[in-house]
Amino acid sequence: MVTAITFYIFATILVGSAIMVVFSKNPVHSVLFLILAFFNAAGLFVLLGAEFVAMILVIVYVGAVAVMFLFVVMMLDINFTELRKGVQDYLPIGLLIGFILLAEMVIIAGGWTMTDGIATAMTTATPPASEVTNTDAIGRVLYTDYIFLFQLAGLILLVAMIGAIVLTHRKRDGVKKQNIGDQVRRRRSDAYEAVDVKPGSGI
Amino acid sequence: MNEIFPNLAVAYGEIFLGIGAMALLMIGVFKKDSVNLVSWLSAIFLVVALFLTVAGTGDVTYTFNNMFVADKFTNFMKILVLVAATLAVIMSREFFRLEGDDRFEFPVLMVLSTLGMMVMVSANDLMTLYMGIELQSLALYVLAAFKRDSERSTEAGLKYFVLGALSSGILLYGCSLVYGFIGSTNFSAISMAVSNMGEGGAPVGAIVGLVFVLAGLAFKVSAVPFHMWTPDVYEGSQTPVTAFFAVAPKVAALALLSRTLYVPFGEMSASWGQVVIFMSVASMILGSFAAIMQSNIKRLMAYSSIGHVGFALLGLIAGNAEGLRGVMIYMAIYLVMNVGMFVCIMCMRRKEEGMVEDIKELSGLGRNHPALALAISIFMFSLAGVPPLAGFFAKWYVIIPIVNAGYFTLATIAVLASVVGAYYYIRIVKIMYFDEPVEEFVAQKSFPMKIIATLSAVLVLAFIVPQISSPVLDGATAAAQGLSQK
Amino acid sequence: MGKYLDIFVGWFGYRLDDWALLTFGTILNILVVVLPVLLAVAMIVWVDRKVWAAIHLRKGPNIVGPFGLLQSFADGLKVFLKETIIPAGANKFLFLLAPALSLIFGLVGWAVIPFGEGVVISDLNVGILYLFAVSSLAVYGIIIAGWASNSRYAFLGAMRSAAQMVSYEVSIGFVLVCVLMCVGSLNLTDVVLAQKNVLFGVNGYFFSGLFPMFIIFFISALAETNRTPFDLPEAEEEIVAGFQIEYSSMSMALFYLGEYANIILMCGMMSILFFGGWLPPFDWEPLYAVPGVIWLFTKMFFFFFCFAWVKMTVPRYRYDQLMRLGWKVFLPISLVWVVLTSGYLVFFGRLAS
Repeated sequence: MVTAITFYIFATILVGSAIMVVFSKNPVHSVLFLILAFFNAAGLFVLLGAEFVAMILVIVYVGAVAVMFLFVVMMLDINFTELRKGVQDYLPIGLLIGFILLAEMVIIAGGWTMTDGIATAMTTATPPASEVTNTDAIGRVLYTDYIFLFQLAGLILLVAMIGAIVLTHRKRDGVKKQNIGDQVRRRRSDAYEAVDVKPGSGI
Repeated sequence: MNEIFPNLAVAYGEIFLGIGAMALLMIGVFKKDSVNLVSWLSAIFLVVALFLTVAGTGDVTYTFNNMFVADKFTNFMKILVLVAATLAVIMSREFFRLEGDDRFEFPVLMVLSTLGMMVMVSANDLMTLYMGIELQSLALYVLAAFKRDSERSTEAGLKYFVLGALSSGILLYGCSLVYGFIGSTNFSAISMAVSNMGEGGAPVGAIVGLVFVLAGLAFKVSAVPFHMWTPDVYEGSQTPVTAFFAVAPKVAALALLSRTLYVPFGEMSASWGQVVIFMSVASMILGSFAAIMQSNIKRLMAYSSIGHVGFALLGLIAGNAEGLRGVMIYMAIYLVMNVGMFVCIMCMRRKEEGMVEDIKELSGLGRNHPALALAISIFMFSLAGVPPLAGFFAKWYVIIPIVNAGYFTLATIAVLASVVGAYYYIRIVKIMYFDEPVEEFVAQKSFPMKIIATLSAVLVLAFIVPQISSPVLDGATAAAQGLSQK
Repeated sequence: MGKYLDIFVGWFGYRLDDWALLTFGTILNILVVVLPVLLAVAMIVWVDRKVWAAIHLRKGPNIVGPFGLLQSFADGLKVFLKETIIPAGANKFLFLLAPALSLIFGLVGWAVIPFGEGVVISDLNVGILYLFAVSSLAVYGIIIAGWASNSRYAFLGAMRSAAQMVSYEVSIGFVLVCVLMCVGSLNLTDVVLAQKNVLFGVNGYFFSGLFPMFIIFFISALAETNRTPFDLPEAEEEIVAGFQIEYSSMSMALFYLGEYANIILMCGMMSILFFGGWLPPFDWEPLYAVPGVIWLFTKMFFFFFCFAWVKMTVPRYRYDQLMRLGWKVFLPISLVWVVLTSGYLVFFGRLAS
């Protein structure tokens, strides 16, 4: 019963904050609601016994991605009433497309049948949860069965990084840069010289 | 299924390119002024990958948990992709030497994109398919926008990116539907599941999913109605990038399309046949008629490529080994013609103006640069499909299977479209030889460019000689038989 | 902590039904940990000031109570009686939420800190990840405070803090990866137990090949908690007090509590990850007679001393230097160390299955 109550609490807040992400007037509030939504999603994962995914969700999305969102949204001065003007115009056509998609989904889902034995397959974890923790299980799947895709994903991220640098990084002239190596390598003899000056003679 | 250590031997080419790309990055970052070195090394790495691919036996081998396949078909297509990529890298080297804005990331991105294409060709799983496409296209988006100070290039990159992301979304939606209704993402498993479904056929969801997948892939080959991005991207990108776009990704995407339609969904040809017929006919017609109005040579090549994709798709409609063989031969010849043509386009350069792209600038080329004009005429006649040249055989080998399979109307439309297409190709020849000369282009001094142009022109001319055409024909025959048997 | 619950049931003489018992027991456990932490914060502030004073060659707080021990309580009382001022342009709700968040994130991390074998509120399977997650959340208190204050200085502080914490989390992440590869588990109790007799009868990874990782972790912890030399978010000379500029009375005190709770948490993490937590420094039987909690607190106290020591001796970094250190020094070193550690573990077959 506790699980059920907790589930409904998490789920309600999740859906509520997700709606608020879309409808709040202030973009910063939207991002904060998004964070709340992430938290509750993480809570749902914990209820499922997937604590690894829950923690990764918090670390990656709340700890990094949302910080960047917040950073950008706070820095930008977005005029939202201006942006909303377009929404009014596109609303009917948007609703129409949404309705068509919904209808399609209903038609498609009508023809959906479960394979035999799927119900048992869904409730039993592979490998059994009593033998390995889910971190372990994810590791086994990711690094043995799907190693190829994992490496490809790494290459895609590499391309994304190269792309971001290629398209935005500019070498500017006249920027003073600190060279720590040079600073550390500097010796006393490079900086000054002790000269024995005789009185009255000068250098 | 759960082999602990996968069989790496069949993927040596891909692994080599992946590691090579990272090595190139390191060289580029840590060595000052290493653009030349990185470019030539990229070309060499691509050639090495080519040899590693050719070294494969060609037996059907699955690895990485059945997500990756290597057979004669993948070998054939990978050779095309790698040849195209190597030539594009060499062409871009020559281009940037004249144009300036030399950055070592350019060849590295080309190598990574080629790696993505090889993965696409070898994909045997919907997930591998998607990862290959993403790796390929992400690098291409950057390449399209590479000249970041130019509005046109940035626009090309952005347009390509937004539409590409949309098509990836459609593709993924289709993949998830297929997975949901068939229960697997693996091509072999899907194929088995589909053939087990019996006379009732596949569920509606799977068919809808297949159509979505097809739409996503059609975007990558720029088949009508998913072609809108092509002219703008071709025009806005720098010429060597356009040359790369015009060939390598198309070959890879067509290879992927053929495998997807023949292997997992081979039994559902009644469902996808009509879609492919529509795309093919629409592409051929649009490619022929829209190109007539173009004044920019790169836009013209864009519409020409749309038309050619329409022809290549004809082969798939036949649904048998003969048709597939036609597609493969078509792509091989298309590669040679396009590479040659783009080398010629890159020669359109004046001292003050730099690159020029207007078709009018070609006026009187026959008197100023007879050799260049001759080469362009050869490619134009071949692209139009005039009989003794290679382009004619390309069309021949896709139309014959269609006729054999009984699609007479389709064959007629194809022939008519090619007649209309011939008009704008031959118009260029007319402009070169019969119009008043304008200012001369800078004479092409680069040795590699001359070699590429001459070689491709000779190949186009000499395809009729059996000794030259037989390796392509035999290779395609063997590969097509292997794929369509499954 | 089942046995505590049994005692509790004994006291009250009747059984609560299971889930009520569970809830009640958990709340009790939380109080048992949180109240001492808050008390420790008060005392540790005093220690901090005493250490600074010693370095300045002065006496430090010595009026309130014996040796000035009650100074923090006096400060607390004073702050409590002041008026909370909310700036006119501020976003009221977020303005008040921020300090509370800051304190909450400083306290929730304690849920997985083991004070001895099995003496922990929640013995999570993914304890390290939980701590990492919590420490990456600490930035929200600051960002929200900076934005809600509607002040340029506060906003600058918040921006600095966000960039800084995100940067240093990266290297902290890789340090944690090194440790958990050696342990083969994400559970903090396992982490401590794995450090028994690491090398020649010494307990703790500090004395093994992970020593450089400890250095990186220590410095990154300074950055994560916005302590000198990385206190740019509140740099007094540049942006007055950064994100705290508009805060007064209890709202400011909550920031202080949160900051110190975070610092002690970081000290606890260092003791557990590198110095064998509640284990004595040497694997020698008589030392185990001393309760584990004492060892843990001693280690934490030592690290706290280091924090105070650094604060008084090292000048503040410039912003570009800070970024350079994080991205160009720590990130490559910790990445290389991940590769070296995994290589070592695989090569010598030490990888925990």
